[in-house]
Amino acid sequence: MLTIEGLKKSYAGHDILKGISFNVNKGDVISIIGPSGSGKTTLLRTITTLEEADGGHISFAGIDNDFQKLNGKDINTIRRNVGFVFQNYNLFNNKTALQNITEGLIVARKVKKSEAKKIALEALERVGLTDRQNHYPSQLSGGQQQRVGIARAIALNPQVIFFDEPTSALDPELVGEVLKVMQDLANSGTTMVVVTHQMNFARDVSNRVIFMADGYIVEQGSPKKIFENPSEERTKKFLTDILSNV
Amino acid sequence: MENIKLIVNFLGQLLPAINITLIVSLSSIILGSLLGLLLAAARLSQSVILRVLASIYVSVIRATPSIIMIFLVYYGMPLLFNGWFHTNIDGWNRMYFVIIALTLLFSAPVSEIMRSAYESISKGQMEAGLLVGMSPFQTFYRIILPQAFVVALPNFANSVVNLLKEGALTFTIGVVDMVAKAQMIVANNSGGYAWQTYCALALIYWVISLAIDKGVSLVEKSYQKKRKTIAV
Repeated sequence: MLTIEGLKKSYAGHDILKGISFNVNKGDVISIIGPSGSGKTTLLRTITTLEEADGGHISFAGIDNDFQKLNGKDINTIRRNVGFVFQNYNLFNNKTALQNITEGLIVARKVKKSEAKKIALEALERVGLTDRQNHYPSQLSGGQQQRVGIARAIALNPQVIFFDEPTSALDPELVGEVLKVMQDLANSGTTMVVVTHQMNFARDVSNRVIFMADGYIVEQGSPKKIFENPSEERTKKFLTDILSNV
Repeated sequence: MENIKLIVNFLGQLLPAINITLIVSLSSIILGSLLGLLLAAARLSQSVILRVLASIYVSVIRATPSIIMIFLVYYGMPLLFNGWFHTNIDGWNRMYFVIIALTLLFSAPVSEIMRSAYESISKGQMEAGLLVGMSPFQTFYRIILPQAFVVALPNFANSVVNLLKEGALTFTIGVVDMVAKAQMIVANNSGGYAWQTYCALALIYWVISLAIDKGVSLVEKSYQKKRKTIAV
């Protein structure tokens, strides 16, 4: 459904992504793990066109082209077929929880207002926040804001939802509620690509784990393989370090 | 008591000239805001040339005292029009020159206010808009602008009050506004009752400024209601 080949990106002479290739199938729940600075977030941002890639190829939603040859129409197509959940939520601060979800439906998708509201309420129900629909983001806890962020993404019914460290900005006691929502999504067959430091999520919920370091995919495979029998030294070291810190 | 009667009397004589002050101020605010918006856009643009030009403009204008700006426009513009466009604008209503001068003066601080308000809104708001499928313009108009507006409001109001006060220099090129009117009253009284006259004038400026402040704080409050944090 989504195939990325040889994706490259550098900032100010530093190579952040050094040729990333992977594919996402419908229904996949892929966790991307790896040390800070390994390019995980940049990977999501270049695929979703928030950053311009310096090289590589994408085939997705009817597009089959080099990143650098994407025109405005292609970029719109990509943006309209992905969902994105940000590390720091990025809810529209001047909109209520409900309006945060209806905004894209009404303005971008031209859905009728009444229909948009219906879809938004269903999405809020899935994240358990129907009673907060008229709250502004500043009136919600971090966990609630992130759940609205997830509802905003699922309401648009995208082909794949990218999660950029969705629990990293949360107080520890709020992480659980967000992971629970994500687990429900995964169980319902939503295609998800999740950059995460939550090793439990990677191990228990995803069907594939990608380990990235220094701008490369070091190895990928089933959670069982990556966590129990990693073939690369780099992966072993990362897992040992991170698990000994818990 | 006598003085209060005099002041009230002078108020009655000065107020009819308030329309000149209001026309000059309102026109300069509207035109200056539009010019300020263009300048802010230029300072935020990708083009180095636009950015440099805009920032030179802003720093020069900010360093120009209002009275000098008014004289520059009043004496300089007719020469410029004559030389460049071979058009004679000597017959223009003098009010236009004041409006142009104040527009130029107002545009500089306003462009800075707009730019910093825009920059205070997190980049994530734009990114979130793009990734729910909205265009950059839709996101700017529906998400960024309303938030930047609230941020800019207090400083903007401050600049408006400043402009109003600088507008009191309108009389220097012979436009009969309230200040000119006050001078005439004093002259008619052979220099008598001067402080009562100017006291009346000051009162009018106070009321306008207070009204602006009050209006702005009402707008601000209605916006802050939305953002007030409720203990959850």
